[in-house]
Amino acid sequence: MTNKYYEFFCPVKVIAGKAALEHIPYELTGMAAKRPMIVTDKGVRAAGLLEPVIAACEESGLEITSIYDDVPPDSSTTVVRDIAGIYRQEKCDSIIAVGGGSAIDTGKAVNILVSEGGDDIAKYSGAGVLKHPLKPFFVVPTTAGTGSEVTSVAVITDEAKGVKLPFTSPFLLPNAAIIDPRMTLTLPPHITAATAMDAMTHATEAFTCMAKNPLSDAYATSAIKKISHSLLHVMDNPKDSDGRLDLAQASTMAGIAFSNSMVGLVHALGHATGAICHLPHGLCMSLYLPYVLEYNLETIRDPLGELLLYLEGPEVFAATPAGRRAEASISAIRKLRDALYKRCQLPRTLKETGKVTEDQLDHIAEMALDDGSIMFNPKEVTLEDARAVLRRAWA
Amino acid sequence: MLAKRIQPMVFQARRLYVELMFQVMGRALQAVSEVDEKVQNEARALPDGFLFEMMVMPNGSKLIVEHTGQGRFRYHDDQAPRPVDLSIQFKHIAHAFLVLSFQEKTSVAFANDRMLVDGDISYAVRMTRVLNRLESFILPKLIAERAVKEYPADLHLPEKLISAARIYLKVATNFVETVRA
Repeated sequence: MTNKYYEFFCPVKVIAGKAALEHIPYELTGMAAKRPMIVTDKGVRAAGLLEPVIAACEESGLEITSIYDDVPPDSSTTVVRDIAGIYRQEKCDSIIAVGGGSAIDTGKAVNILVSEGGDDIAKYSGAGVLKHPLKPFFVVPTTAGTGSEVTSVAVITDEAKGVKLPFTSPFLLPNAAIIDPRMTLTLPPHITAATAMDAMTHATEAFTCMAKNPLSDAYATSAIKKISHSLLHVMDNPKDSDGRLDLAQASTMAGIAFSNSMVGLVHALGHATGAICHLPHGLCMSLYLPYVLEYNLETIRDPLGELLLYLEGPEVFAATPAGRRAEASISAIRKLRDALYKRCQLPRTLKETGKVTEDQLDHIAEMALDDGSIMFNPKEVTLEDARAVLRRAWA
Repeated sequence: MLAKRIQPMVFQARRLYVELMFQVMGRALQAVSEVDEKVQNEARALPDGFLFEMMVMPNGSKLIVEHTGQGRFRYHDDQAPRPVDLSIQFKHIAHAFLVLSFQEKTSVAFANDRMLVDGDISYAVRMTRVLNRLESFILPKLIAERAVKEYPADLHLPEKLISAARIYLKVATNFVETVRA
């Protein structure tokens, strides 16, 4: 009997497609919520993305009780405490997070405070601290990449101590994720590209790293197929709502995949690069993906070869000898990156970013080695290995 | 029928094995930190007084070691002098047995959700590297390859034998001292 074992968990109701936002009032009412608070950021409001959400609720007679639109890109314990204060003052009974990773993580953290009580969010940091379900919580993603709408994790900065506090609990998962193509129609090209490559990396690492399992595989391959099929089309036709919906769904599927099978060295290097050089996460993912796949190649040859079917379609898959499919998958990813570079100058090397210096590589390697994601990389990574990957990704 | 009768004995044997392995590993962690420079370098990043625990949930066997500074560990048996800083917890004794009998690699056990980490994940990654290094030294290569993700290519037989002998000697000495005390 094999020792293979896995766990898979995703209780989030996914509400996706045309007029998905208009389902929010019904879903909230079904949870006896009548006074929702929206948590979002200035960019989302300025882009006019709140209007369809508010209109959808008001048309059904559901008033949005409060709107907090000042979530910073790197949310802090102070922001969380302030929003929780407003929530209590306004007697809200549910939260709708509208935005990208930061607004969603902030929504999750606020939900902890308003459900569990108190003002000190740090008290709930760590894994498995929460023991009870929280208040009704909905997420409306406005980027197609992070997958935060289906992950049980939030990260909030403790400014006073200068550390990032992780929160992990299945109770952080939203009750519903609303995927409406209207919310990503106006995403600028470079963000569309970087966030889609973030989702592509989530799916690729979920499919090739140590905790892969049959259910996460199904989500990962579907996500890769959708991104390969729609990303360049959306780059050329940004207002195509079907393509936008494909990317948004792919992001959610990749999120479900990686939250159940974890990620590997691409994320370890990406987290370290983000922390040291302040590069956006999606960009780091796009940048490191082919180099890490090359590094892992001999350990992941079979699954990586399988991905060719989803990256390039059945004709190319059938025409490629089995022994060359893994390399062909890496080439397909490189080709996609080149096409994105041509369309929006999404950097393919660290040098192309213009924000990383060669003398930072050692620091990045050292930090990456202590990142939790590295545990799930299929190959044991030494400091010298990490340095070698970084040197290849340099130029 | 026979299987049912011997089942309690099997469970008892498994419990004793896990307990013994924790005692050996705890002492071996102290010993390897006195012998191996790479382990010392890994441990130096931990705060002085840092307490690491490995245990079986909910209240099963455990080992506790403390980083006393300069990359050295001290074994504390199963009694922590204060709340631990990092705890790696097996969800069930059956999972601990799989790992400690080298049927499942530590990294695979993490991937398979057999264990929980309570504490700073970066320290857990570091301690896993230390445990891998220890296992590479003290186990025959064939068994070590079943225990660690990748057997270190730069660990050659003479270094392995000399280090293993020193670690086992220190572990045996520690056992004797414990019995005498």
